[in-house]
Order: sequence, then C-alpha cells, then structure tokens
Amino acid sequence: MPPRLRTSNLPSSAASSPSIRSQCLFHPIRTSRELSQTSCQQVTARRRKFYEWLNGPGAQLKEPLPGSTNYLGAYDKYGNLVRASPAWQRKSRAELQREKEMKQAEPVVKAEPVKAETEKTEGASEGQEEVDELEMQTRRDEEAKRKETKDDDQQLPPETAEDLRPFPQNRFFRSQPVLSEDLREAIYQRVKRDGATVSLASVEFGVSNERVGAVVRLKQMEKEWIAQGKILAVPYARAVLEMIPVTPFIDTSLPENKGKRPVPHEPINDLIVHPATRQQLFVPVAESRQFTREDAGKAFDNHLLPADDRIPHPELVKAERELAAGLPFEERRRLVEGRLKAEQAKKSKEEARKAAAIASLKTVPQRRWDFVFQDVSVEAVGKKGRDPRGVGWRYGFPHEDRKKGHVKIPTRVDA
Amino acid sequence: MRKKPRYHSLKKLKIRQDWSRWSLYHLSELRPPNTATKTYFQQKWAAKSATRAYHGEVIREKKWKRQFKRSIPAVVPMDFKYLATHDGAEQAAGRGAGADSEDKQRTPLQTPYMQMTYWPIERRLDTAIFRSLFASSVRQARQFVVHGLVKVNGKKMPYPGYLLNPGDMFQVEPESVMFATGAPKVRTSTARRVAKERAAARADARAANPPQIPPSSIKITAPTREEPSPAELKKTLQALMEKVEDALAEDVKAKDKQKLRDFRKTVRSAVSLWKNASPDSVSTLDNQFSFLRTHLSTYMSNAPPPPPVPSTPSDSSLPPADPNSIFSKSDTAKLRAAFDRLKAEADYDSKWNGKDASKPYRTPWRPRDYMSAFAFIPRYLEVNQNICAAVYLRHPVARPGLAEVPTPFHVETGQLAFNWYLRRR
Repeated sequence: MPPRLRTSNLPSSAASSPSIRSQCLFHPIRTSRELSQTSCQQVTARRRKFYEWLNGPGAQLKEPLPGSTNYLGAYDKYGNLVRASPAWQRKSRAELQREKEMKQAEPVVKAEPVKAETEKTEGASEGQEEVDELEMQTRRDEEAKRKETKDDDQQLPPETAEDLRPFPQNRFFRSQPVLSEDLREAIYQRVKRDGATVSLASVEFGVSNERVGAVVRLKQMEKEWIAQGKILAVPYARAVLEMIPVTPFIDTSLPENKGKRPVPHEPINDLIVHPATRQQLFVPVAESRQFTREDAGKAFDNHLLPADDRIPHPELVKAERELAAGLPFEERRRLVEGRLKAEQAKKSKEEARKAAAIASLKTVPQRRWDFVFQDVSVEAVGKKGRDPRGVGWRYGFPHEDRKKGHVKIPTRVDA
Repeated sequence: MRKKPRYHSLKKLKIRQDWSRWSLYHLSELRPPNTATKTYFQQKWAAKSATRAYHGEVIREKKWKRQFKRSIPAVVPMDFKYLATHDGAEQAAGRGAGADSEDKQRTPLQTPYMQMTYWPIERRLDTAIFRSLFASSVRQARQFVVHGLVKVNGKKMPYPGYLLNPGDMFQVEPESVMFATGAPKVRTSTARRVAKERAAARADARAANPPQIPPSSIKITAPTREEPSPAELKKTLQALMEKVEDALAEDVKAKDKQKLRDFRKTVRSAVSLWKNASPDSVSTLDNQFSFLRTHLSTYMSNAPPPPPVPSTPSDSSLPPADPNSIFSKSDTAKLRAAFDRLKAEADYDSKWNGKDASKPYRTPWRPRDYMSAFAFIPRYLEVNQNICAAVYLRHPVARPGLAEVPTPFHVETGQLAFNWYLRRR
C-alpha cells in the first residue's frame, strides 16, 4: 500500500496521477454522496452514537450534582438518577446561580438602606421595602426548610452502595468516603494540642493508625503554608470535597449531639492475611483437645502469632478481657497505665538507639554539603565473601548496578 | 512505520486512565467478557488487552511482566470484642463437643483477589498522583513528575516510575493541580483583542514614564496573600463575641435566643482555637451573626434598641437616621458594618478565586467537565486538597467484598487477565 499523502500538499498533476487514484477503486460505490470526504461511513455512525450518548444520558455526568456524588453507577442507561423520586428534577446551572444569588441577596439588601439614606430620596419607602423583602426572605427560607422536612421530592435520598460505583461493571469497587475538613482538624487538635497518642486518636475517631499519622503530618504542613502566606488550592479543595462522599465530624462534646455517636471512618482492626495462611491445611486434632487460635497459627507457621497480637489495636482486646474478667476499675486502670509505660519505654529505647546510630557517624560540615563518615569493616563480607553488606570491589562478585532488570531509580526517599 | 493506533478510538473501545468523555462513554458501553463463543486463549488475550490499556499503558509489557506478583495483599477486619471473648476453639469444636446446631454460619463475603492483579502499578508515583485527583490523566501526572513539579518527602522526584513506599508523602504544585483539574480557558477573539489592547496600552504607559522603582523593592511590597495574622483573627473573634453577649442581654424570643447561644458557642470554640481559624471561618461566622441581628431587629421593632456595636469605624461618617425608617441609628451602623464586611468578603473571594487572565485555566476556577464521574479517592491514600499533598498509607488490599485497586472491569475480566500473567510464571 502506498503511503498516505495529503492531496493539498501535492501539485495538481500528482494528485491526479493514477497511482493515487487507484486507492479509491477499492472503496464500494456509495449510494449517497455527501459533501463529506470521509472514506468510511461506519465511523460516522459510531461518532453519531457517541454524541447521542454524550448529549443524552451522559449529559448528567458533565457537571457535579450539588450536594451529592455523581457517578455512572447511580444512573440507568437512559440517564435517570435511580435513587431520586420521580418528581425530582435536576437543577440547571442557571437555576443554581439564581439560588446562589438569592442567598447573597440577603446581605446586599441589608446594605441598601445605607446607600438610600445617603441619596436621601425616598429613604423611608425603600427601607420599608427592604424590610418586607427581608421578611419575605426569611419566610421563604423557613417554608423551604419545612418543605424539605415534610416531603422531600426535591431532596435526594442518601446514596446506596450502588450509587457510589464509578465503574458499574466492577461491583467490588466503590467510592469510599474521605475525612471531612472538620474531622481532620479535630484529629490534628486531639493529637497535637491534647497530646493523645496515635492509637488513642485512632480508636476515638474510628480512623486507622496510619491515617491519623498522615492527617497530622499533612495538617501540620498546611498550617506551615498558612503561616508562610502560601496560596492554598481552596477552590479546588472545596469542589473535590463536594464531589466525593465524606465522613462527617460529630463533636459529641456539643449539647446538640448528645445522643449521637461519632461516625467510624474505617475498620481499625484489620488483620493482614499472612502468606503462610494462604495454603489450605488439614490438621487432625483430637476432639477432646482445646484447639485455639494460637494452635492454629502454630500449625501454619511456627512463628505465626495469633490474631490478638497481630491486629493494630491489641490493647483493645486486653482491655476487653480485663473487663470481662470483672476486675475493678482501679485495677484495670493500673494495668492500662503499666502497658502504656512499657510502650513508652520501648519507644524511647528505640529513639535512643537511632540517636546513637546517628551520633556514631562522623560529620565534617562543609560550605554546601556535609561529609559523613561511617565505620565499615572488611569482615562484613562474611566467610564466603558474598554478603551484600560487604564494601568495595570483590573478585568474582559483579556490581549489581550494571545488571539487567535492576531498578536504577531510587527505591526510597527518607523523610 | 505502522501508524500508531488512536488513543481514544471509537472503533476499539479502550478505557483509559483519564477523565475524558471518551473514557466515560466506553465505561458506559463496557460489558462482561464474552466467554461463550471464544476460546480460553482468546478470552485471556482480550482481557489482558483491555486491562492493560487502562492499567499502566505507558509501561512496556516486559517491564510489567517482571512487576507482576501472584501474591496479593489482603486483610480481614477483626472484631476485638469477639477476639476477647472467644479463643477460637469454638470453631474447631465438633459434634462431640456439643456443637449440633442446624443453623449454618453465614458465608463471609467473597474477597475479590482477582480485581487486584494490577496492584503493583498503583504504587507508581504517576498513578498515585492521578488517584489523588491531582491530575486529569496518568499521562498528565507523568508529565508533572518529569517536569519537576512533584516532590516526594520534600525532595524533588523526577521519576514517574518511582514506587511509593508506605508512609511516603508526595506533593504537587497547587497551580498545576488547579490547571489539570480546572476547566480549560476559553480563548475567544474578543478576549484576545482586549488582551492585546491592554498590552499595547501598558507598553505605551511604560514608554511614557519608565519605572522608577527597582524591581527588588516591588518584589517585597507585592504581597502574595493578605491573610490576617492569628493575633488579628483572635481580636476579630473576640469583638464578635462581645457583640453576641450584647445581643443576648436583650430579651429576645426563646428560639432566637437558642440560636444565638449556639452561635456563641461556635464563636467561643473558635476563639479558643484561634490559632487555626482561617479568614474563611471568620467571615462565615460574621455573616451568620449579621443575619441573626437583622432577623431580630425586623421581628421585634418594639423591643428596646440594642446597644450600639462597639468600635464601628464608619459610625460617625453616617448621616443621621431617618425618623420614619424602622432602622435605628445603631441598626444602620450595624448594616454599614455588615456592608463593609460583605465588601471585605468579596475582596477575599476574589483573592481566592477571582478572574485572573494570567492563569492557565479558566478563572474563576471550576472543575473540568466530567470530573465528578471519575472523582474518588481510594483508601490507601490520605489526601489534603488544600496543599495538594497526599500520603501513600499502605499498599492497596483486598478485603471481604471490596478490592481497593480501582479497575473498571468485570471480575471475570480481572480473573482472565490474572491468568494470562500467571501462565508465564
């Protein structure tokens, strides 16, 4: 097949040459010739279908649904929102704009009389009008509120698991809620101001340990940015948090939330499936024997601990056991404090070890970079001389960095 | 050379990792795999081809094959109360131990391991940026990384293939994020003409009187953002608090009083947390209060006039109140204050999200089309949208009934793709 050439780039003689015209001979003769030069009508049909979908059912997905998520899984194939009541109607952008203006109009109205008085023309009547307007506004607001509580035709019910599916074919994936801004702030305050440990904050807010740490770290950085006067991506943040499901923060210290409970964000006691437990195992056990979790762990792997010790919050299990054993409050408290102290000691020991490791390095400060010297031993290569901890070039031991398939980009970045 | 296939083709529907309308259309057209008329090899091939077009299409097949792991991370949520009260022996107990119940245990939810085939790809820096909603496609995320707009743990990381470790924090330039996720700029001939005219006018002005100020001093005087200091914020909040106290001193209706009390509580908590109060929260509190005030004044025009608002600078500049007007002088002053506040708020709004021709995206910023259909943040990431930074908490895991790797395909497709790669192991 000859290369494709654009006719516009060719001189007229070349364009009419038989070698190029011969291409056209393969095409079937079209019944209807239109102005379009498209060689294949099929493509146009596909494109038409695409645009039909885009302007029909797909039009709902173009812009976010205010106050809700807007995923493909929430719509049927005709583009109707499944969970909405039949009377529900999506507001157009113009309507939303108008509503927004209505909301904004209220403070603007308040500002009017000042202007009117400075002009000193019909100040009284206008003021009266403003008052009427204000009253009307409040009445309308209250009416709207009453309407919402009574019949929620225009109010969307909360999303079901189906509605949170961005990929309708994959029923094992759904958009899960993220932490709201208030919740993040509360977690940060709990850890930074009140000095709560990460695990305590994790239990209180129903947020996993790692997430508590991450929230504190990110929030800290946000505060630093504010202090430095850097520009935050506020419009972006607002828009995103309106589009995705969010775990709200319920401050139980407030009187209006007295009976409520904080909404747990995620399961905090996730047990990692150990590779040793992936296999199926048949262990004959006497029926009279008490075969516990611990024994089951041993059957899989000699060093496999039971789930009680491998979950992120083993202290909860211990506390629950003590409670079930009927220990008095003082006793339980003493035990918990002892555990906390042991944990603290372990932590400080670890920190001391790290500090000692850093102190053992000899640092020579320079203008731009510091030289850091670390003591190494030739003996580190081991008896066979193939230990990776060994330094320097060794006979018969090639440098790994020239090997194929080895990652050349960094594998970790220290914080 | 063979012509490169179209990235978004309507002939072969391939879902790509981006927020385009083509991807959305293809998502809506996606069906479970055809297992009836195809051979097993064909099924696997089709599944591999479809999934690889979505997951890491920039990665060469050989590289991905090396990355593929047959072991898939999974977790099981445990109930600590159950663990405390049972030692597990009851599960092993047979009928001899008296376990003779007819009621079957509920079968636990299926753990969708097969939807997790591509979990190593979710570790890549470019994919993680796309998943945290900082870029509109993986290719764009990759470009951000290559262009040096991304930091990992505070250090510039120019490799899109960097595999994030649990606990790594990555951040993208907020301006780039706003550009990637915002609606594109419209370039009309009128706008262009106006811009050209303005530029010409500026050039004329510069030619007429050359600038006296050295550029260094301009840099210092130009503030990046007029953010009130924490001390100022505290002062504002305390002033607000006093106003509320005044309002409460008057006898008002019970319901309104309740509202005011609630409001006072929020203010009080805000004052105690003044360090973290943002100008945003202050302005909303202000609005709330002014609305309540006007609400009160209109409802009880017969009530004694409320005490004047302390330290209102515009009070003296106002003309005397009209006797026929319902608003007393103090009310007018309040209105004036509210107006000032409104103006300030408008200024503030415009500072955050105002018109700015110099930005590469449409201003005021709004999300790009079809973004909401693709907007989700998987659980293995913790994102702070304000600073456009995120932490990779852990590897994505499968748990009963849920797979954390976002993949648009049917579970059967996932299984076929997994089997395709299993073949060579």
